[in-house]
Amino acid sequence: MPPAKSLAQQLAAKQREISVAEFFERNRQILGFDNPLRALLTTVKEAVDNCLDACEEAQVLPDIKVEISKEGVDRLRVAVEDNGPGVLKREIPNVFGRLLYGSRFHANRQSRGQQGIGISAAVLYAGLTTARPAKVTSKVAEEEAAHVVELLIDTQKNLPRVVSEDLVLWDRPSGTRIELVLKAKYQRGRQSPFDYLKGTAIVNPHARFTLVEPDGTRVTYERASTEVPPVPKEVAPHPYGLELGELAYRLKATNQPTILELLQKELAGVSPRAAREILDRAGLPGKTKPAEVHGEPLEKLLAAMHEVPLVAPTSECLSPIGPMLIKRGLRNVLGEVRPEFYAPPVSRPPKVRGGFPFLVEVGLVYGGALPADQPIQLLRFANRVPLLFQQGACAVTNAVQNLDWRRYGLDQKGGQGLPSGPCLLLVHVASTKIPFTSEAKEAIAEDPEIDKEITLALQAAARHLRTHISRRTRRDLAGEKFAIILKILPKLAEKTSSLVHKPVPDLTPVITRIMDVVNVETTVAPVGDTIRAGTDVTNYTPRARVLEVFVEMPPELLPKAQHRPAPEGTDTELGRAWWTLEKLPPSGKVSIEVTFPKGTEVEASDLSWYIAGVDEAHLLGAEPLPGDWDVRLPRAVIEAAEAGLEPLPGTEEAEVDYDAAEGSARVEDDEG
Amino acid sequence: MPRKGARESKTTKGDDAASPRVDALKPTLELARSIYDQLDAGEIPRMRLPLRTKQNIQFQMREGVWKLGRALGTRSARKLDGALMLLRTFYLVDFINEMAKEGKTSTLRELYYISEGWEEGKFHSEDESNLLIEDLEVLCERLREDFRVHPEENGASVIGDLTIRETNRKGMVKKINCRDDVGDGGYAIPFNVEKEKIEFVSSGAKFVIAIECGGMVDRLAENGFDEDHKAILLHLKGQPARSTRRFLKRLNEELKLPVVVFTDGDPWSFRIFASVAYGAIKTAHISQYLATPQAEFLGVTASDIENYKLPSDNLTDQDVRALQAELTDPRFKTAEWRSEIELMLKNGKKAEQQSLAKYGLNYVTDTYLPEKLAEMGVG
Repeated sequence: MPPAKSLAQQLAAKQREISVAEFFERNRQILGFDNPLRALLTTVKEAVDNCLDACEEAQVLPDIKVEISKEGVDRLRVAVEDNGPGVLKREIPNVFGRLLYGSRFHANRQSRGQQGIGISAAVLYAGLTTARPAKVTSKVAEEEAAHVVELLIDTQKNLPRVVSEDLVLWDRPSGTRIELVLKAKYQRGRQSPFDYLKGTAIVNPHARFTLVEPDGTRVTYERASTEVPPVPKEVAPHPYGLELGELAYRLKATNQPTILELLQKELAGVSPRAAREILDRAGLPGKTKPAEVHGEPLEKLLAAMHEVPLVAPTSECLSPIGPMLIKRGLRNVLGEVRPEFYAPPVSRPPKVRGGFPFLVEVGLVYGGALPADQPIQLLRFANRVPLLFQQGACAVTNAVQNLDWRRYGLDQKGGQGLPSGPCLLLVHVASTKIPFTSEAKEAIAEDPEIDKEITLALQAAARHLRTHISRRTRRDLAGEKFAIILKILPKLAEKTSSLVHKPVPDLTPVITRIMDVVNVETTVAPVGDTIRAGTDVTNYTPRARVLEVFVEMPPELLPKAQHRPAPEGTDTELGRAWWTLEKLPPSGKVSIEVTFPKGTEVEASDLSWYIAGVDEAHLLGAEPLPGDWDVRLPRAVIEAAEAGLEPLPGTEEAEVDYDAAEGSARVEDDEG
Repeated sequence: MPRKGARESKTTKGDDAASPRVDALKPTLELARSIYDQLDAGEIPRMRLPLRTKQNIQFQMREGVWKLGRALGTRSARKLDGALMLLRTFYLVDFINEMAKEGKTSTLRELYYISEGWEEGKFHSEDESNLLIEDLEVLCERLREDFRVHPEENGASVIGDLTIRETNRKGMVKKINCRDDVGDGGYAIPFNVEKEKIEFVSSGAKFVIAIECGGMVDRLAENGFDEDHKAILLHLKGQPARSTRRFLKRLNEELKLPVVVFTDGDPWSFRIFASVAYGAIKTAHISQYLATPQAEFLGVTASDIENYKLPSDNLTDQDVRALQAELTDPRFKTAEWRSEIELMLKNGKKAEQQSLAKYGLNYVTDTYLPEKLAEMGVG
């Protein structure tokens, strides 16, 4: 064995400063530059994230343009431009040309990027693969002209090297544009800049995005909202989320004269009493200077902080998208697939994990041109950033796969795995600290508390889906029945009657047996000088019915409404009117009209129709009376409804449907 | 064109052979009355009819064929499909009653096109119209010929020493020997092969060999196999038409000629044999009229492929699925068929009958068939 000294000397000889370039080469994978396709996506993603952050801080509605064009065989030019506040000239080299330079690293709030490695990594990659400098154009509102700075990163010193500087006129009031030439490849599809921008547009409905693809195709996502989301507030870190290094940093960086004051003023959730208890447990006098705490006392302090009961961290620092904007964003981007159903989005209340607040949001879209025979589309987002890689390793995916979607109307083999059907699912996790599986921030790591919240949110959205699917099934079934009674039955009666030389019998009893529903059809249309909302109630059931019909509208509309026939009663406060339909015979129809003066802003969806006296299974086109309405129904309605529960005589036993029998002659290949 | 014979074979011979034609259509009007009565009584109209499914065919010991069982299905106007089929049924009933009045007949294909004028009742494919005609056969216990609907001539042919007397379209009676009075194509089997149309006069043959492919029929004819072995060659033309199966059954029953079936060695050919010998599921309601339970399978068997080292192809996924389906088909539930199917699955090989040409053009007539027939004790 060689002597220890000699080994130390050997090691020392090998030690030298590792250059940034080498660091980059070794960590291409985690930085997201391991192949030309991914390098492009990472570059676009980092640049766009910067744009969004800049606009958010300046509270302007983002207008972001991404242009990708060919620049030689395997090179692309990428230009990303925003209308943000711009970057001061002296800051440009630092923002774009230095790794690990950023203002957000120690900030305790929800943000898109965190490490400050983002855009400068793209500048570095571009320099390494094409030796071309990054061209940054930036204008701040106070200045007349924009500065153009071309820069490279000195890979030995990790410092920006400005290649050229210039001034140009720019028609924007303010903004930033970065242009890079890099070795990259463009392709549409999964994990492409196209997909990334689409996802980003969904969760940032206040932003306008334009993508120009290398073949000249221009894709624009107009903004669907003009509300600028509030800047997530920065809050003091909560002791439960602190780690040793972070605590040490704060002790050094603080201006507080004593440890007691630091605990109370710079950390969240620490009451004076809790602060004293922490210090007691750690065996530290309250007057200790923060900078003097290190070594064993530091570890004791941290342990004490984690033990003492504290007020939970606040969630003010989170910025949920919110149900309304999730819906708008989805509608805006998915417009062309014309989904038949947007589930009311779910925004769960904030919860705490460790010392960090988080919340989960879920949006669900169903039907339309979404492919019915493929796995559902799952869009994952962390702090409003789409996650495009590592779907299989993500806690979101796992939560989706572990839910039994068959109960909610989707196909799923064995009740596990990604369900299939014409469905798109959006899951957004927002937190001051999202536990990613790796530094590349592509997947959220498993965590029991996050998993529970995702599952609850998914279940809530899935329940809406189930209701929608069962309603649709009922409507389809009703559509079939209408086809039978309107088109087929009359002809069948005519044919058979003429074959046996008899007059066509009255079909009412058969029609009501086939339909067996009370059908409500509503229309809103201008008639003369008025707008008429009409509803036809038809009793397609085999027995006479007494029904109570309710209409509910925004209360301010009710005084303007003229009713015909006159309602049984009205409630101006709640915006309701109601009628009792006495003994509506089988096939009997009653029309109710609500008329508004011309110019009234009223749509079909402003009027909700409810019916009492028939159960939900036998009701079409209206809702049964909500259970929480405190309404006293006329005796006749209640009695008739109860009588309706008894089965009619002659109800058929379960029979094999000849035309749906499995393995019938239809599927045999023998010839006749 | 009266066709009394069609019914004869279904009921006890001769008991109502002389019933007037209109009787054939009476059951169709009874169906109409039943639906009318239900409508008049305010009931959702429906019909009950035997299920034509694999699960609902049963072996009839007495007749030795597979027939429909007792399971019934309901066709009801409660469902859209059922309502449509009911409506079509009575367009069809109306149509065939009109044809009867005018003394016309229609091909199955014509019927499909006639439905263009049936609005909602229009058929979407010829399969649908064919199936409905079969439904009506089952419901009325009649044959489609009774409804004046028939298939196109299918062109299956016979070559061999068989003399028949055929009444042609013009009502002239022709005596034809299927070897001496016909060209190379043989005698073409018409769609109507009942007694009023065709009578068997005499035959010098000792057996009938029913063959899947035209090429093999030609080979046997050219090699003089029919004369050398006193055989009637019958071309099945793939899955045999009803008339071909009926013709074969009459040869077997009336002339007491044994029948052997010679096909390719693959799962689809097994089904051809099954429909010849036991009846098809689609036509299980008239199996006793079409099936020849005495027919025997000659080959090509899975073991022939091995024993004769025939050029073969690998089974496709579809072939494998077909074989597996046959294992659950009650018509193949004998030990012999089971081992034959399992052997084919195990070897994963299929072969065409014409692959015997590997050993020369005479091999099939000089070696293969004589060996196989001797094994079976036929000829």
